[in-house]
Amino acid sequence: MSTAQFLPLRFNWKTGLLAPGLLLVTSSTVFAHNIEKHFKVEPRSMVTIHNPNGKVIVKAWTKSEIMVIATHTSDKVEVDAEQTGNRVDVMTHQISASVSPEDMRADYQINVPEDAELQIHDDSGEVSVANVLGDMNVETIGAGVALEDTAGYLTVKTVGGSFQCIRCAGRLEVSSISGSFKLLSLRSYHVHAQTSKGNILFDGEFLPNGIYRLKNYSGVIEVHFSPGDSFDLSATSLKGKVNSQANLTPPAHPHTVYSKFGNAILGTFNAGHAKVELSSFDGTINILKRE
Amino acid sequence: MATVNCKDFQDRFEPSDDSPRIDSPPDLDAKAHLRDCPACRSFVQDLGMIRAAAAELAASDPEPPARIWFSLRAELEKEGIIRGTSSKSWLREFFGGRFSALPRPVLAGGYLAALLAIAFGLSGPINSRINRQRWLDGTQSSTMPLSAELTSAEKASFSSLPASESSESPVTASLHKNLEIVDNYISLCENSVREEPENELAREYLYEAYQQKADLLAQLNER
Repeated sequence: MSTAQFLPLRFNWKTGLLAPGLLLVTSSTVFAHNIEKHFKVEPRSMVTIHNPNGKVIVKAWTKSEIMVIATHTSDKVEVDAEQTGNRVDVMTHQISASVSPEDMRADYQINVPEDAELQIHDDSGEVSVANVLGDMNVETIGAGVALEDTAGYLTVKTVGGSFQCIRCAGRLEVSSISGSFKLLSLRSYHVHAQTSKGNILFDGEFLPNGIYRLKNYSGVIEVHFSPGDSFDLSATSLKGKVNSQANLTPPAHPHTVYSKFGNAILGTFNAGHAKVELSSFDGTINILKRE
Repeated sequence: MATVNCKDFQDRFEPSDDSPRIDSPPDLDAKAHLRDCPACRSFVQDLGMIRAAAAELAASDPEPPARIWFSLRAELEKEGIIRGTSSKSWLREFFGGRFSALPRPVLAGGYLAALLAIAFGLSGPINSRINRQRWLDGTQSSTMPLSAELTSAEKASFSSLPASESSESPVTASLHKNLEIVDNYISLCENSVREEPENELAREYLYEAYQQKADLLAQLNER
């Protein structure tokens, strides 16, 4: 169970040296509040993080322990990290009636076991997760999200934040209003990516029986394929263009909805093991050979 | 796997007297296609029903309306094929002449086919207009309450915001900016649906834009 180690207000040495000098210059000088906590956990633990503004960096390690290091500068906010059973809740909250958005800023570095499950809410700033194999849910407003070497069931929702996923596996569902997506070296069997005013780049494997749905209103959807890939393709742009370098076999039963309205390219590449559905309202869709 | 597509199949199955059994395709590919394709099975069934109806009508040996024969006669006279005679003798001459070799059921079937063709020809554009209107009505009836609800939710969100909030918080500003983006897409999609009410994809985009707006308003309200 929990063996939390609480080290409040641990000043780093740079701040300690600089602070007295700065105090002479201005009375509104701020100190960095550094907090470090450790929690022992069982397999398949869960971490929830709620941070209105700032960086959230999560990395997996081999210990059965969760470590939270938080830094914030304002005295008007407080950082909490508490354990309940196998769950650790991390939260930044205001302790003053009036705070500015900048006061709410807190940065986190969190280490978790590989199989930990994550729930992250970060309005602005950035979120970065690496090597975590448990399920995760990330929600942001303007914060960009970067995942690397992750797996499990990944759901990401941003309003304006961009999203990048490198070597992700498992199942991925990502949505945004104006964020762009980069899905690189993916090994996911289910990808559903939807943004309104953003570009989507997919450069990953099309696994057999995998389903890959990429959709936007405007912007560019770009998909890269290799000669050995095998997929059924349906690419439709209602008001925009569809360009394909894939040599497709036409379908035996054309889908009337997709072929009747807008510009559409339908067909099978090799044996058609995966299903690829690309759709745009007035954007451009490019299906390009991988170089 | 069948190598025949729907068009090939339907081209091969033009109904004629030479291929009396339209439900038995002549080759294996076509049979395989018929087995796999619900649309073509439905097509074959429709043809079968038309033929059955024609056969029933023919069996009842109906007398074609007089106006059909009058117009045929007028046309034949005009082309100099026949001379003006009484209606009864003309009919006798007509049946005794070039159509005497044809059995009456076949004539009845041809008559039915002509009527069906005229009916289809006339009903096509009318049906198309009616369908478009139906699609439009259906879409409007499902989206208008939604749109009204979102508009009132939007007004409530803005009125509940502190005066300084929108200018101070970058997050709130971002939400407003994205709300504008979604409103713009809603407008584009509504236009598209009005232009092509039967366009399923345009409707899908419109519904999703409403969903996005609802999500954004919920996030604004949470602040």
